[in-house]
Amino acid sequence: MNSATVQFRFGAEGDLTAPSEDRLAVGDERVLDFLAKLARKLLTPALARRHPELGSLGFFLRPAELRRAVAKMERDDALVFPRGNVFHLPPANVDTIFVYSWALSALAGNHNVVRISSRAAGAAEAIFEALNEVDADPVIARTQRMVTYGRDDAITGALSRWCDLRVIWGGDAAVDAIRKHPLRPSGRDLTFPDRTSWAVLSMPGWRAADPAARKAAVVGFANDAYWFDQAACSSPRTVFLIGDGDPADVRTEFLDLLLTVVDQRGWTVDAAMAVEKRVNAYGLAATGAATAVEFPDNRITALTLTGSDQVPRHWIGAGAFPFAQVGSLTELVPAMTRQDQTVSHFGFTPAELRAFAIALGGRGVDRIVPFGSALTFGAVWDGYDLPAEFTRLTTVTT
Amino acid sequence: MSVFTLAQKDKEAALLPQLAALTEFHRAHCEPYDRILSASGFTAASEISDLPWLPVRLFKTLELKSIPDDEVFKILTSSGTTGDVSKIYLDKAAAAEQQRRLAATVQTVLGPKRLPMLLVDTKAMLKDRRSFSARGAGVLGMSTFGRDHVWALDLDGQVDLQAIRDFLTKHGDAPFLIFGFTFLVWLHLYEVARDHGLDLSNGILIHSGGWKKLVDQAVSPDEFRKRLAGVGLTRIHNYYGMVEQIGTIFLEGPDGGALYCPDFADVVVRDPETWAELPPGKPGLLEVVSTLPTSYPGHVLLTEDLGVVHGIDDGAWPGKRFSVLGRLPRAEARGCSDTYKEAAA
Repeated sequence: MNSATVQFRFGAEGDLTAPSEDRLAVGDERVLDFLAKLARKLLTPALARRHPELGSLGFFLRPAELRRAVAKMERDDALVFPRGNVFHLPPANVDTIFVYSWALSALAGNHNVVRISSRAAGAAEAIFEALNEVDADPVIARTQRMVTYGRDDAITGALSRWCDLRVIWGGDAAVDAIRKHPLRPSGRDLTFPDRTSWAVLSMPGWRAADPAARKAAVVGFANDAYWFDQAACSSPRTVFLIGDGDPADVRTEFLDLLLTVVDQRGWTVDAAMAVEKRVNAYGLAATGAATAVEFPDNRITALTLTGSDQVPRHWIGAGAFPFAQVGSLTELVPAMTRQDQTVSHFGFTPAELRAFAIALGGRGVDRIVPFGSALTFGAVWDGYDLPAEFTRLTTVTT
Repeated sequence: MSVFTLAQKDKEAALLPQLAALTEFHRAHCEPYDRILSASGFTAASEISDLPWLPVRLFKTLELKSIPDDEVFKILTSSGTTGDVSKIYLDKAAAAEQQRRLAATVQTVLGPKRLPMLLVDTKAMLKDRRSFSARGAGVLGMSTFGRDHVWALDLDGQVDLQAIRDFLTKHGDAPFLIFGFTFLVWLHLYEVARDHGLDLSNGILIHSGGWKKLVDQAVSPDEFRKRLAGVGLTRIHNYYGMVEQIGTIFLEGPDGGALYCPDFADVVVRDPETWAELPPGKPGLLEVVSTLPTSYPGHVLLTEDLGVVHGIDDGAWPGKRFSVLGRLPRAEARGCSDTYKEAAA
């Protein structure tokens, strides 16, 4: 491997695939110490103000959270060890996601190489600064490396043969492209393909909620939707209004509140995005999927879909909200597919949500979370128990 | 004979009923168009700026035509920067009309006779399938207005000085037509004419293709005219047009520095926040309006170009004077689903 073309953003420079004498344990104290110090740096007020997403990341990396994650890795029927070498290919545009998957893998004691896109900027730069400032045990730099390299299939190929687990983010096309590089026979892929996420809003639940609860729900929804331009895999897109009867009052109040929140946050949608949304909304109208398109403001585009079978599964822009009415959560089940990831909810009882999940039967939808939690990363993601994926088990029968 | 004759008030009075009738015609004959207008609640327009506009990119994502399949005479395509292609459907009548109107527009500055024509391009470009649709169609479309064509660039894209000299010896003492893309004219004609003392004073230059590359070299439209005047070329007409409104070009007037709308077309500059029409002097998104699209609903299109109206009925020709200022950048989202372009390539 030609190391001259590899730029080290973190970790000791050198051959990425060379054999290593370093051994880390599951929940290694040196890793715990490192991540805890990193969390402190990310949670400094100045940094968190500049990049609010670093706040959630810092929270995720707090020692108590990490120890809980380690405790969950332990089992009573097997000994738990690191999986080995892990090669991460995070998406270029979501600045923080690489830290979540890398941190869990490091916590599991793996040797990690994270490929960082050359387009990474903003919050990612702040993270590298923080990573490099942490006073860490030297083993961290030797076993945890984050690199940027250009269009070089040879490096991707070598790392693919080196790793025991390859973690591919970035959607269907990225997965297909990376899979052209063979793994070693014992290696496996953990893939994060294209996903779609929804919001469900109970009309009876909405009408029964007091104004403060409705406002709080919309604040949560607005964060979920606008934070990553509605383009993150768990950003809600279509809003399903669940219940019978005319939904106009609920929808109108929801959109009015949404505009108020967007105003208060000072979020903007530029002209190019506004045009993008028109193109997509008109496209849905042209095919008959939407019967009404409204553009009250560049920041909000509202569409009325003819049915839950007409929901777009491609991104249609930041602040674009198709609405579809469905009688009950159960009736929504047939419209859900394997591609669907997160359903964020408001106004339902726990029993209704459980019944919905059971009716789905794992055929679609991996997460059901309240409004405001759609983007909160968890150790169980896309239906995978990540700590389990990052470890291997040895059984001893005596 | 000019197609730049109508004062703004008269133009609007003449165009509005035609455009309203086109809107109704397309609604009746193009179902997707009718659905779009129904979904957005359009009923009627009392001004040109009230007419329902379609984002021009819709012709890349939808098949929009108002004629039956068996009347499709020509399908025009344009390659976009993203690889999507606009598809424009013409029947026989629309194809003939757009050619007739284009001819009338350029004859306003060229006169009725076909002139000897110097093409600032390479013949090889016609064979390059990738660039053909945009550049080739422009060159071919314009070449019908000239005769005795000579290519100023050889097959390798290098300046063919001998060919230019021969052309000028033969035709240089009477009016002749020069056509090319703005950047090529600057790079391959202006600099060569300057360095070799070529006399272009009888030339009439028609050029198009955007200013971006020139602005990168710090050459403004004004500077462009001034420098070309230095090699004798003073009759210069930039134009703006697109395949989605084929046959309609907005032409720079003899006074230079601004584009004018032919009698069958107009522009509206919109505020990209409120989408209302902006007054002269305020830049915004450019909407182009034309009565020529009769076979597809392209009579009112919002472009992705920024523009500004400088004045109304106050220039060399009547109507709106405007400039194209540049392109709206394409919307890009952050997001998980973002492909590894390097790996995919």
